Amino acid sequence: MAPAVLLVTLFLLAPFVWTVYRSFFSDTRTSPFSWFDNYSLFASDPALSRSIQNTLMWVLGTVALPFVLGLAIACMTNAGRFSRLARLCVVLPYALSGSAVAVVWNFMLTTDGAVNQVLTGLGLDSLAQGWLLTWPGNTVVMILANAWQATGVAVILFLVGLQSIPPETLEAGALDGASGWQQFRHIVLPQLRPVSIIVIGMSLVNGLKSFDLIWVLTQGGPGRATETLAVSMYNETFLELRPGAGAAIAVVLTVIVLAASWLYLRRQLDVKGV
Amino acid sequence: MSASGRTSSAAVPLARRRFLTGVAAGAAALAAGGCARGASTSAQPGTTSISNDNATWDDGYRAAGRELKKITGYTLRPLSNPSVTSYQQVVQMTLQTSKSSDLVKWASGYQLKRLARAGGLTDLTPVWKGYAAKGWVRGTSRESVSYRGKVFGIPLYESYYVLFYSKPVFGKLGLSAPSSWDELLHCAEVLKRNKITPFLASQVGGWPAIEWFQELVSKVDPGFYQQLVAGEASYTDDRARRAMDIWHDFMRKGWMTSPDFDQARGPGALKEGTVGMFLHGTWQASGMSAAGMKPGTDYGAFILPTVRPASQKSVIAESGVFVVPSRASSHEAAMANVGAWLDPAVQRVWSDFLQDSSANPKVRASNPVVASLQRDIARNRRTALVRYWEASPPSLIQGNTNDLGGFMAGQTSPATTLRRMQERAHDEWAAWKRDEA
Repeated sequence: MAPAVLLVTLFLLAPFVWTVYRSFFSDTRTSPFSWFDNYSLFASDPALSRSIQNTLMWVLGTVALPFVLGLAIACMTNAGRFSRLARLCVVLPYALSGSAVAVVWNFMLTTDGAVNQVLTGLGLDSLAQGWLLTWPGNTVVMILANAWQATGVAVILFLVGLQSIPPETLEAGALDGASGWQQFRHIVLPQLRPVSIIVIGMSLVNGLKSFDLIWVLTQGGPGRATETLAVSMYNETFLELRPGAGAAIAVVLTVIVLAASWLYLRRQLDVKGV
Repeated sequence: MSASGRTSSAAVPLARRRFLTGVAAGAAALAAGGCARGASTSAQPGTTSISNDNATWDDGYRAAGRELKKITGYTLRPLSNPSVTSYQQVVQMTLQTSKSSDLVKWASGYQLKRLARAGGLTDLTPVWKGYAAKGWVRGTSRESVSYRGKVFGIPLYESYYVLFYSKPVFGKLGLSAPSSWDELLHCAEVLKRNKITPFLASQVGGWPAIEWFQELVSKVDPGFYQQLVAGEASYTDDRARRAMDIWHDFMRKGWMTSPDFDQARGPGALKEGTVGMFLHGTWQASGMSAAGMKPGTDYGAFILPTVRPASQKSVIAESGVFVVPSRASSHEAAMANVGAWLDPAVQRVWSDFLQDSSANPKVRASNPVVASLQRDIARNRRTALVRYWEASPPSLIQGNTNDLGGFMAGQTSPATTLRRMQERAHDEWAAWKRDEA
């Protein structure tokens, strides 16, 4: 145990304690102790308020979309002639890095990008717009881009879950006259609960810490309109040169991630583990 | 304990030992890698290392280094980190260590003052005095490379913010480089009528959002621009409002590209004739060549005319600097090279590489477009104004740049943008002065 504890302490706990400590000091040259001044920025800085709004949107989007799409695609591709090919197409984006995904979507979403060119080509000029320029549309399209990538892992997990469902239970339901939807609602879905817990838990944390896609696509801009807390933390620390404010955001973000994960898992996991 | 238990308990420490050995080996490999990386900044005979955030300049440094070697005996060995943000972090951290490179490329103005204030830089005042005696530096540049009266940076290059334009496109439409505000507006109207976006404006990457702001404010009133960036005038002043209203009007008329237009595509857009004029630093001249455009034939450049004919003429100037860390691995060699950097023989090679104007006023640019701009600046006695990015405390500039990016995307009105910028200016100047005190 001791080496493991040492490593965790050295590389995880000590930096966190230092971050908490730093968050109580101001960002002037002499860095005096400033109590909760850095935390009060959440009330006074409109950029941070917008950052919290965006983070909530990301959490909702990254939980709901991969879950619903992942489940639907897994059910549709669990059996069938072209299911392997379809699965591969959906899962492939998951193998790409967030930055690579962002580069591809940047090509699509800029004002003179592929999406607007297609719309213009179809005579739908009125729908063409600066997808990454206006809030909240820019955050929504980035969430969709993220879902395009993140759905792959949800599909894999749901497929594993579906294949572990005993066929007898479905056969029994069919013999009792249950329709396809009733079988899905009352037989399949309850047996996918353990997998669902994992998918939602992972998506929740990924949504709260989303960074790479946003950074490459908009760098949190225009202005600071598309920042999430993770991007704000980076922006305050390294661009605005306010490490104290950045540390405060890091602490708040960590507390939110831990609290959300704990509350969710505590409700979902019983004593036996699932 | 059972036999199986003993076996099990014997196996666990073995597995753990193996794991720890693996971790230790990994750490050793990482450390070795780190040392190898550090070794690249350590002293190497006959060379001086130079930290640089623009990898496309590496060949230029090597070519200039060959000239330097004839004078000092030391070449230049560029170490590039193309991400500006991470470059700044790495430089600031390594300045405090013994692994600092010999020369570091940095920005002038308040960016340099902040670095100098943290300590760890060599006082280059004697080097500056030597250059000044030979007339190899502009006396007006001294303030932008100094902190508390001491010089900490030697000019690396000098660029001007100008409007590049496509000569074939202008020729086809019967236009010429405008010399007055009315002529500029006429050019924009004609270009727009011919389905060419008159001006390139971008906020991709953050900092380009300052370009039109600094340009328009300084062309409304250059004296006001100087007061504004020095913290002696308000962003809510009528003159700043006038500049923002002009900008807003240009955007409303569809005279500017979408703010998510990447400037890297600027030369190509000029060549294709989809954009009429591209506001950028003269260092973009090398980008024009890379796009296959010949100076004077395919493209020209002019300085934005003043809004009122009677206004003082000015030009926005950008100057990067070399700094010498006091703990540089080869400090003596670094001082020798920084002391010969502005030698005309070295600057000839460097200026030719950049296709830009040299920081040594005695070296004429070989690019005819840039040379013509240099003549214009001298003939019209244009006041050289420090680029906005370096002209005020960094935290203020970064925040205001974000606000300008928001304005370009239509998030805020001119009045709201200026009010926010003024509020930040009030706070950040107070913080800077408090820190200085």
